[in-house]
Amino acid sequence: MSYKILVVDDEEPVRNMFKDLLERQGNLVKATFSGEEALSVVSNEDFDCVLLDIKLGGISGLEALKRMKEMKPTMPVIMITGFGYDEELIAKSKELGCSGYIGKNMPISQILSNFKLYLHKAKENAVD
Amino acid sequence: MHLASDYEKIGLRLLDCIDGLFIFMDIQENILLCNKRLEEAVGLKRESLVGKNWAVILYRDTASSIQQQMFKAVIDDSVFYKRKNNFEGLFLDNTLGQRHIFWDIIPVSTNDTNLEGILLFGHDITELRERQMTLKKMDETMKNIFSSIREYALYVANLDGNITYYAMGAEKMFGWGKEEIVFKHVSIFHPHEDADSLLPGLFEQVKKIGQVEIETNLIKKDKEVFPVILTVSPFLDTDGKLVGYVFIAKDITERKKLEYQVFQAEKMAAIGQLAAGMAHEINNPLFVISGRLEMLLEDGGFSPQIRQDLVIVQQQGDRIRKLVDRLLKFSRHSTPKFDKINLNEVLESVLPLLSYHKLPEAKVTIQKELADDLKLAMGDFNQLQEVFLNLLINACQAMPQGGVLTIKTYNTEDSFVAASVSDTGCGISPKDLKNIFMPFYSTKKEGTGLGLSICYNIIRNHNGNIDVDSEVNKGTTFLIKIPFAK
Repeated sequence: MSYKILVVDDEEPVRNMFKDLLERQGNLVKATFSGEEALSVVSNEDFDCVLLDIKLGGISGLEALKRMKEMKPTMPVIMITGFGYDEELIAKSKELGCSGYIGKNMPISQILSNFKLYLHKAKENAVD
Repeated sequence: MHLASDYEKIGLRLLDCIDGLFIFMDIQENILLCNKRLEEAVGLKRESLVGKNWAVILYRDTASSIQQQMFKAVIDDSVFYKRKNNFEGLFLDNTLGQRHIFWDIIPVSTNDTNLEGILLFGHDITELRERQMTLKKMDETMKNIFSSIREYALYVANLDGNITYYAMGAEKMFGWGKEEIVFKHVSIFHPHEDADSLLPGLFEQVKKIGQVEIETNLIKKDKEVFPVILTVSPFLDTDGKLVGYVFIAKDITERKKLEYQVFQAEKMAAIGQLAAGMAHEINNPLFVISGRLEMLLEDGGFSPQIRQDLVIVQQQGDRIRKLVDRLLKFSRHSTPKFDKINLNEVLESVLPLLSYHKLPEAKVTIQKELADDLKLAMGDFNQLQEVFLNLLINACQAMPQGGVLTIKTYNTEDSFVAASVSDTGCGISPKDLKNIFMPFYSTKKEGTGLGLSICYNIIRNHNGNIDVDSEVNKGTTFLIKIPFAK
């Protein structure tokens, strides 16, 4: 199944990596480099899912998540973190309504399967 | 006659000038003559005193007291043997109240055989005695003060460095008794290697500049070396002449221990911060490298040789990924999820996990001494499992030839639950022991050096303590203490 996805990461190689990886799975992917830009894109377009880096230049990933959820509460947002499993950050993102998280330290195969799982769950919840 | 009478008059006047109690009596011990001071002291006129027994006069209120009987015995002795005596006793003075009197008892003879009478001359030594009493009390007070001081030892040495005064606190601190130590040289309190180099210089400095304070190590009777702050002051006599040295030693073992713990904790926190920052910076490029590589391998089209090389790159990348994961785990400041837990249960749950790890094949006997009445502790079950798994694996690895692994739990008096893991293995050298909780410090060929540093952080986050004791070729014991659940 193909999704329309927005990737937000301030590092170009990382951004492109996610883009290529997800496109290979047959998704339609758009990539932006900042929270501000992502918010403006989201305000104009609908996405099946947003992949949002926690650590961004400009407004933080958490702030971007908060505003995105205010704008489009049902749109699933999955956080990306380079810190590995960080309970505090994850707890905060969950409070703000994120659907899950992906660590850049995970093996690629796990990243993809986690992504699918979160998205699937988010869709199910939306149908409920 | 005229002359004699003049002498008598002068004699009597002189007697009255004497600031002492003067009595002359016959051998029946009845008063013949006395001075004005005695009149005042007993509150009676001279005329009514003459012919009375001395005892009736001097002990009018406390007749036939033990003191009076003793005084009488001494006077009788002087009468019988015609010899001088003295007697010290209390006397109730009519004007001055209770006084201490020192009596000279002098037999008076006209010639060698005939005793004419007895002379009693009383000196008032009340003030002297009071001064002596005050001094004695002061001395006792000082002794009590010095004995009450606990963490301090006070001792004094003469100019040769020989101990002349050694207070109670010092006995407690050093373990030497007073009798054993007095007149020994102070170098007995200094570890052998310091004594010769430290003390002469110290004495010189005290002579030159007065009080000197240094931080040094001292040694107890049982050879235990401990850190102190040692203050040495000049000991001056009343003329201000230097006659010795006063030493005050303050035991700072506890303070040193705390300082070390704080230092260790700060160091670990700094390393943790650095590790977290680095791990994050490595994760981004590593993610790109692994991802790109995976896509390349998926696309294929390489010669078998190139494919094999790419797989090696992938494997090594994976190795970095795992290392960074461990680093992050070490640095993570996530607070443990506290629950009331039983440490025995944690240990029991970890033991079966040992079989999943590659351990030496030799036989390790596991001895469990788990307290039945173990109090509940506040802890994160999973994190503590990780700590004990780490310790148990280390213990097994330390015994490649086999041995005994002892696991003990108990309640401590200071409200901690304690668990110890001991092995009978190769032990850890003192040098390695110092760095054992440092990240990346490993003595194992395959170790990352993160296991124990992670344990350290977990236990610190539990407000607990982790300690290690080891002897090469004898074995190692890790002791973990975490607070009781409230």
